[in-house]
Amino acid sequence: MAKERMPDWLNSSLWSTTPSVDDRLHRFSLSPTTTTTTAAAAVSEPIVQPTVPVSPPAAASRPQYTVTSQKYEFRDPIDKNSNNNSNDNDQNASPSGVSPDDISRQAQLLAELSKKVVNFRELRRIASQGIPDGAGIRSTVWKLLLGYLPPDRLQWSSELAKKRSEYKQFKEELLMNPTEITRKLEKSAVDDHSKSESSGLLSRSQVTHGEHPLSLGESSIWNQFFQDTEIIEQIDRDVKRTHPDMQFFSGDLPLAKSNQDALKDILIVFAKLNPGIRYVQGMNEILAPLFYVFRNDPDEEMAAAAEADSFFCFVELLSGFRDHFCKQLDNSTVGIRSTISRLSQFLKEHDEELWRHLEITTKVNPQFYAFRWITLLLTQEFNFADSLHIWDTLLSDPEGPLETLLRVCCAMLILVRRRLLAGDFTSNLKLLQNYPSSNISHLLYVANKLRSQASN
Amino acid sequence: MVLVLALGDLHIPHRAADLPPKFKSMLVPGKIQHIICTGNLCIKEVQDYLKTLCPDLHITRGEYDEDTRYPETKTLTIGQFKLGLCHGHQVIPWGDLDSLAMLQRQLDVDILVTGHTHQFTAYKHEAGVVINPGSATGAYSSITYDVNPSFVLMDIDGLRVVIYVYELIDGEVKVDKIDFKKTPATTHSAH
Repeated sequence: MAKERMPDWLNSSLWSTTPSVDDRLHRFSLSPTTTTTTAAAAVSEPIVQPTVPVSPPAAASRPQYTVTSQKYEFRDPIDKNSNNNSNDNDQNASPSGVSPDDISRQAQLLAELSKKVVNFRELRRIASQGIPDGAGIRSTVWKLLLGYLPPDRLQWSSELAKKRSEYKQFKEELLMNPTEITRKLEKSAVDDHSKSESSGLLSRSQVTHGEHPLSLGESSIWNQFFQDTEIIEQIDRDVKRTHPDMQFFSGDLPLAKSNQDALKDILIVFAKLNPGIRYVQGMNEILAPLFYVFRNDPDEEMAAAAEADSFFCFVELLSGFRDHFCKQLDNSTVGIRSTISRLSQFLKEHDEELWRHLEITTKVNPQFYAFRWITLLLTQEFNFADSLHIWDTLLSDPEGPLETLLRVCCAMLILVRRRLLAGDFTSNLKLLQNYPSSNISHLLYVANKLRSQASN
Repeated sequence: MVLVLALGDLHIPHRAADLPPKFKSMLVPGKIQHIICTGNLCIKEVQDYLKTLCPDLHITRGEYDEDTRYPETKTLTIGQFKLGLCHGHQVIPWGDLDSLAMLQRQLDVDILVTGHTHQFTAYKHEAGVVINPGSATGAYSSITYDVNPSFVLMDIDGLRVVIYVYELIDGEVKVDKIDFKKTPATTHSAH
């Protein structure tokens, strides 16, 4: 149903500024409500009563995302009102990084992971609330969610061994330069017979299949090698620019160098295996979080095989988004333009006023900001830790990463609606292209609410 | 995997107008890492053209070169190989293996590249190789009119070099290759 005006729940002061406290998602009712009004009632009603230590909506600066002891008083009433579907008892988020909620979620996840056969629905439910950073849980959960690890725990080691050797083989075949290839093709070429004579004419031999370095033939390995060199150079440049602020990726340490080499190898193997799509700028940004998470797995064996694991997970993750990277498909029904227009449509359904203001009044074409949001899966809009958190939700949502991504993008727009409505083309564009840092749990909560509100 | 192009005796513009079109279409920038030129280009425009193929260009002076600043001989190290370069008109008898071998010992190189005879040859001599890439334009030489355009491309990979010989015979490009492996130990003990 098309809403003429803003829905009540959207009208609350909750959405105009971002809370500065580390919200726990499950503090708000996550159980899908059948009608919008009940949801609105549940949330808006308690907010009215207590004093809310929120900076006034007019304040331009967003409070930085910090875990402080400052709490919202209204959260307690909400806790009592709403039905908590988690097993938490503790109401107060502790100021330190690990709260009891984290611990319980960690316990839940570990329990789930240690089962013989992992229950995916359960896993997705817990994971969508956010995966704690410790104990290598994220690494394993992502691998499960991306279908790399089978649900049956007993098969894990055999699957992993199989996949890793597959990757090793890919590397050997595809990363060889033509000199080595030609040498392998004719093992018996250089015999010792040439050593018997100390001087004299060198024997000339036929070139096999017209294979010589200057060959211009399509099927010539040399020609393909030189064509690939361009792509390899592009990959090299992009890898060196990935996350320059992170020691893990760039820096003078040999660790950073080996990580960059791993990223390069993965992307080169991918480009060679997929001649249709090759390498497109931006793939390195999608690969980076995967590799980071897998490499920082406390389990040594897992961390050592991070490259192979990242490769397969990268392929799996990209499979849903491949069409965004294919230039020919730009204008088709599966390309990036169509996805952006879907986002626009989504926004129109949920917040017509904002949509109208953005697209028609200020003429901010969604392509200007949404392109990067969608193709790079929001890795460039938030800091690294936040984007990992967002990816937890993207990967675990049963609707699929693309649908979830659209919802999160829509939520991002809605969260800054006051500023957008007040701004013109320039300021809106500036705001959206440098999205202010916000409370991620809050953002994901709004995104989730959009789902339950979706008019179908 | 280093690609080194060896060519020479183009004699542009005196004896030939340009490289054969089939050669020119193959020589594109970005593939070759070094170019060594035996000499007799003869004019600066040819040097500029070769520079566009590859920035690392080495030339020795041939007797008809207009630029007098090229050296008589040159040595360079590429990978595990030491290469020597000389035009060859200084070494008499022209094209004689033993005399060239003297030059090779003098320069202390594994691969000696000379020209002047406008004939492709590749000799093995005492753990080293003497190569003559011929004339890239097929210009007539002091000795004969019957010259096939030819040049040489070396693929240096560790201790092995694969020498690809490109010749234009009857309007068709023919490619042959020669394998050579350098013995890693001291190469100058007389066998």
